[in-house]
Amino acid sequence: METKMPMVLDVISENIIKHGSPLALKGSEVSSWAKELDLPAKGDVLFYTGGEYQMLPFIDSLVKTITHLDQGSKVFSMMMGARNILNKTGFSPEKMYASVLAKDKDRYNSVCFKAAKVLKELGYEFCYSGNEELYSGALLYELGYLQDMEDYVKRVVEVIKKSGAKTIVCLSPHAAEVFKFVYPKMVEGFDFEIRTYVDLVWERRDKLAKLQSAESVVIHDSCRLARELGIHQELRDILVSIGADVKEAPMNREWTSCCGGPIKILFPELSHVIGERRVTELKESGSAHILTSCPYCLSALEAGRAKGDSAVVEDLIEFLYRGVKA
Amino acid sequence: MTVDLRKDFVNYAKSLNAASEDKNIRTAISRAVTSYRNTVTETLERFPHTPALAEEVQEIKRQSMANLDNLLETAMASVERNKGKAFYAKDHQAALDIALGIIGKGKTVVKGKSMLGEELHLREYLEDNGNEVWETDLGEFILQLRKERPMHILSPSIHVPREQVAEVFTKFFGKVVPPDIAEEVKVVKEFLREKYFTADVGISGANVVAADTGAMVIIENEGNVRLATGAPPVHIVMVGVEKLVPTFQEAMKVAEVTWRYAQYGVPGYVNIVSGPSKTGDIEKVTTYGAHGPKEFYVIFVDNGRNEMAHEEKFSQALHCLRCGGCMYECPVFQVTAGHFGHTYMGGIGAIWTAFVSGGMEKAAPLVYSCLRCGRCVERCPMSINVPAMIGELRERVIYGKLEG
Ligand code: SF4
Repeated sequence: METKMPMVLDVISENIIKHGSPLALKGSEVSSWAKELDLPAKGDVLFYTGGEYQMLPFIDSLVKTITHLDQGSKVFSMMMGARNILNKTGFSPEKMYASVLAKDKDRYNSVCFKAAKVLKELGYEFCYSGNEELYSGALLYELGYLQDMEDYVKRVVEVIKKSGAKTIVCLSPHAAEVFKFVYPKMVEGFDFEIRTYVDLVWERRDKLAKLQSAESVVIHDSCRLARELGIHQELRDILVSIGADVKEAPMNREWTSCCGGPIKILFPELSHVIGERRVTELKESGSAHILTSCPYCLSALEAGRAKGDSAVVEDLIEFLYRGVKA
Repeated sequence: MTVDLRKDFVNYAKSLNAASEDKNIRTAISRAVTSYRNTVTETLERFPHTPALAEEVQEIKRQSMANLDNLLETAMASVERNKGKAFYAKDHQAALDIALGIIGKGKTVVKGKSMLGEELHLREYLEDNGNEVWETDLGEFILQLRKERPMHILSPSIHVPREQVAEVFTKFFGKVVPPDIAEEVKVVKEFLREKYFTADVGISGANVVAADTGAMVIIENEGNVRLATGAPPVHIVMVGVEKLVPTFQEAMKVAEVTWRYAQYGVPGYVNIVSGPSKTGDIEKVTTYGAHGPKEFYVIFVDNGRNEMAHEEKFSQALHCLRCGGCMYECPVFQVTAGHFGHTYMGGIGAIWTAFVSGGMEKAAPLVYSCLRCGRCVERCPMSINVPAMIGELRERVIYGKLEG
């Protein structure tokens, strides 16, 4: 029996399969952050972004557009890419993408740049697949498109193999999760060492620049990082080693409260409520400077901050980069 | 054939949004969550052997589910040996038919709280067939009057504050009931007291069933189950087959873990019922129906459970003790309560919905509103991997394998 699912699922899965990005972003857009860095295409360690931070500013507007269409009518056939859908309905993708604030685009695009800079500063050498890099397919796994994923991952692996790397460093815990637990089941001989950005920084945390003054911060543990990958103490070690005053939220580490991000594409309002509640919970720690280490947490918590709220939400990458610059 | 689920998603999203704006739900659940976390921490400190016992129970459950057919046979024989009558109901309709066959028409029935009862819409069915049925659990009683469904498996009327209880009681009892909890409890006690002793039938569920002895273990705090199963001349137990374990000793272990994580700490009452009431006090002649029920029936309900037990990826869901802990830790449930559910609630409820109560079509939207954040697994005394099962169900939904 065939099922007709909410259109946003069709759009996202099709985009991944056809364009290698949940939002059909072009390779050149996704890799633009790396222009000045001249990273090699080959090396032992592959720096992997999966385009996840880069697409954050576009998610909200896509969701808004599609939720609106989903409720409106049934004239749209299934299986159309975001660009198609938007064309047919009179929205132009360029318009939708253009409606995203430039400052958001710049901010999220530069996260990858900052991550690369921090790692370089710590003495790591790595390569990057640039235009060719493909999204890991984590959302195919998340949303139930496992059969499609089996085909898709082959293409991802091809690109990864081209780099000649043995180790993959993931910025997003979601990518790390699927590389670690899902790929080995789907791809024979997928024996890459999977590391996270946090791991690498942790190993050389002594080399990080110290903070000028002891800022107080609170960590939002990402579910995937804390529960699936068991990484939570590392975040604290890193921050303590640079002299931050780490406050703890009532629910943290393996008991962390989800940011609400995972249901954003289907239940945006509810997702928002959950994000707001998590921000409130984090602030109970006594610090309103929230640090996380996952693109979706970053975006969901940022959205969950009430208008005019004094809380600051940053990715660990952004926070550490300030030390690099100084 | 194509099943279009888009409308269902839209409607479901609306109901979740409405629930998340409901102040009563918010306040009630935040209070409940805090109190749950505190009681469990405190009781685990007091009874530190509990986590190890829970691990033992996981193994008991695993073996029981692998051995379900045998256990059922043994349990039915035990019930019969105890002079009760045992039935097996393959599905929902069979369960209702058997119950109605025993009860008949024009009877008064008092009922203890049971999720299986909700699954079967038991009260409604018996009422439609000309019986008067009373929920005796206070929360369920409130919902019966409000014509609503439970919002939590253990605290069904968690979302109704005392003012609203007073309102519905005042209307029902035809006299002013103040918004005072003690007063509210009292009027119900007086009303139901009379029902227990005039009822023809008492119905209960069971938290655990020991196959070797045919012992039904029922945990409670209010004392309503004690009365509902003790006073009427007929007692019917309706229980899902997943509650079976091999021995009485094991049943006690399951019971202890259940009440500890179900926030009872130490429960007010643990009822163990294995057969009709009897006496041999006069000339050693066994006579049934001494003080308690003369007739004792057990209906073992399958309704999809056996199929689940045979699915490698889902049989673990049958280990659920219905302690409710996962729901308190679920960020979606915390703001929407039972709206994230269909009879069974939360992530584990979505799994149960797919197999037991509603089917895949009803389950699909629930399955997609799970965050797969995994905190429920941390809490669950049975370490049930709900996120993995949710992933599996999503795959089935996407590729149109809707038959569960
Ligand atoms: S799934 Fe686990 S935590 Fe949830 S009700 Fe069942 S036993 Fe309790």
